[in-house]
Amino acid sequence: MEYNKVTAETIEELRRIFGERNVLTEVEKIEPYSHDESGTQFKHMPEVVVKAENEDQIAQLMKLANREHIPVTPRGAGSGLAASAVPLHGGIVLAMEKMNRILEIDEVNMVAVCEPAVVTNDLCRAVADKGLFYAGYPMSVEESYIASNVVTNAGGSKVVKYGSTRSHVLGLECISPTGEKLVLGGKRRKETSGYSLLQLMIGSEGTLGIVTKVIVNLMPAPGVTVDLLVPFANFDDAVKASSNIIRTTKVYPVTMEFMDGFSVRETTEYFNLPSLPAQDKAEAYLLFTFEGKNQEELDELAEKAGTACLDMGALDVFVASTKTESEKVWKVRTSMPDCVTTKYRHMLAGDVVVPRSEVAEFIAKTQDVMKKYTGLKLTFFGHIGDGNIHPNFLDTLGEYTDEEWLKVAEQAYGEVCMLGSQLGGTVSGEHGIGLGKKTVLRQTLGEYPISLMKGIKKVFDPNSILNPDKIFDLEQ
Amino acid sequence: MRIAVLVKQVPASDKVKMDEETGTMVRSALDAELNPLDLYAVEEAIRIKEKTNGAEITVVSMGPPRAVDAIKEAIAMGCDSGVLLSDKVFGGADTWATARTLSAALEKLGTFDLIFSGERATDGETGQVGPSVAAQLDMPALTYVSKIRQIGDGKIVVERAIEGGHEVVESSLPALLSVVKEINEPRMPNLTGKIRARKTEVLTMTAADVGLDSSTTGLTGSPTRVVKVFYPSMSRNGTIVDGRDPDDAVQKLLQFLNEKALV
Repeated sequence: MEYNKVTAETIEELRRIFGERNVLTEVEKIEPYSHDESGTQFKHMPEVVVKAENEDQIAQLMKLANREHIPVTPRGAGSGLAASAVPLHGGIVLAMEKMNRILEIDEVNMVAVCEPAVVTNDLCRAVADKGLFYAGYPMSVEESYIASNVVTNAGGSKVVKYGSTRSHVLGLECISPTGEKLVLGGKRRKETSGYSLLQLMIGSEGTLGIVTKVIVNLMPAPGVTVDLLVPFANFDDAVKASSNIIRTTKVYPVTMEFMDGFSVRETTEYFNLPSLPAQDKAEAYLLFTFEGKNQEELDELAEKAGTACLDMGALDVFVASTKTESEKVWKVRTSMPDCVTTKYRHMLAGDVVVPRSEVAEFIAKTQDVMKKYTGLKLTFFGHIGDGNIHPNFLDTLGEYTDEEWLKVAEQAYGEVCMLGSQLGGTVSGEHGIGLGKKTVLRQTLGEYPISLMKGIKKVFDPNSILNPDKIFDLEQ
Repeated sequence: MRIAVLVKQVPASDKVKMDEETGTMVRSALDAELNPLDLYAVEEAIRIKEKTNGAEITVVSMGPPRAVDAIKEAIAMGCDSGVLLSDKVFGGADTWATARTLSAALEKLGTFDLIFSGERATDGETGQVGPSVAAQLDMPALTYVSKIRQIGDGKIVVERAIEGGHEVVESSLPALLSVVKEINEPRMPNLTGKIRARKTEVLTMTAADVGLDSSTTGLTGSPTRVVKVFYPSMSRNGTIVDGRDPDDAVQKLLQFLNEKALV
């Protein structure tokens, strides 16, 4: 796809729309907008960055971009792992960071209305003050924005019980790629009124519209919680226990996370965190969170699940029932992505999801695939409770060039994805397709579904202006 | 060897509200947990117990009935028994009255060779109760202990964290030790410990049980008077230097730093 360059006249016009201080052109100021956390291999510089303060500016921008045929890439906090926010064709990056107010916490309808760049954790805290609860919980909860969670259909650790972000979104306001305002859904809780454009917008990775307002569902705050940290000396025992525990005990956790011993040791050493219990003996951990109405119920759940884990080969079962203990354990888990993205120059954050029953087989088969790749380390940490076990590929020896790495990682990930797909899985559970997973998406879905997606994109964005060539290549 | 560990239940939240009339903390409706700094005292006591035949640890706390959860957490980690000092007349106690109540209970419970406390509680932040108990029981107080070198033959040798290093102190036993974070890494209780803690009965003692008159406990027995409670306001008096002309901006910054004598 060919686009026009941003000219001095265009920049002048952008300054008139957004104001002088909201238009960045200096290299050092726009560089941070050239990549996300997927690694430097996808980095691409924008020509100009604009910071929106309201939806009118965004509508004007899209009209201008269509007229001048310049691509626009919307961007949240830049914590994405799929390069969806990378300005692949240069052009204009639309930074949403200034639209960050929680507009309303409506206790009657039990909804929150937010601007796009509200940090999800700030929303969680604000509603908690009113005894309410927002169930969306991506692991990058301290940095990622609510609208970005919406457009990646972010998951996180609580999906086992509460579902992905899609389950919590009641309404969106958007600016379409051609600059029209779209109001989708609302504070209402049901709707069978034609095709659901709301559901289409969720998970669209900023290719179908720019979200300017989000209405999310709230629920009464859950009672008390407890975390169980369960080390296993044997990797396979941990994986098998994760598949069986819910079925055998009928105990339903809010979260069930998996961490391999390698990732735990790397993370505690890299960030100088206190070791987890049994870290010298454990090859894998399961981490559960249970919610209960009261302490008695919680004790019963912990005992039932914990005893079952011991029967399934766990080394021990540790109980983090206080805030301090819980934070200590979760700090290790939530720091894992930061450890691999900062410690290794080359890494690919895998996001395969398979049915819970197939996780053990999936992991076992990936080991066979990896045998033919040298210098490529495969590690696992992720949401094993919902089958979204992140296989992460690391260049531990640091011997690949950027180009070689892209090739080898994509090939290895492609094989692992095909494996997942054959077991009833898919290539991305929560990070999105962005740039890095386009090929594997096409390979696993087939051409017809992709052609339908392209058709939808064309209807929304006839000139291919908004975040082009993400999810799929427009001209292939 | 008999060991006591003094612990406190504190709010598990950064948003502590104050009662402006009494100057005491509003404790209701807050999540509570065992004071994080007490975990190090509990851990150190358990480590001694694991190395010493026949050692026994009693956890002692003063607080409302639900503070029993903090005691049970310490039992789950490996302590043997717990005593909760709970009585309406204990409410609103300052550090002196708290130490007096704890000391009276410790005397009732018999002789301890070692008494542990955390460095301070994360809510009150005074660090006074441990040493004050030692004073009231007339025993040596070893504060800021970062390492126990040796125990036995009626004496103990410890390292105390001091500015710029540590000092080695030898003391007779019994003694009270308040420990700092550097001393160990507290363990996380396991399921077996949790189940044992749940089944362990915690002894509750009132003012009458410890032999104290209500005039010497709680708010009435506290010499401290809180005159005023207020929330500090944070403000910065910032100056923004226009950076469009870099040379000019550098001159202005230099002038600013010179005026403040910072360079």
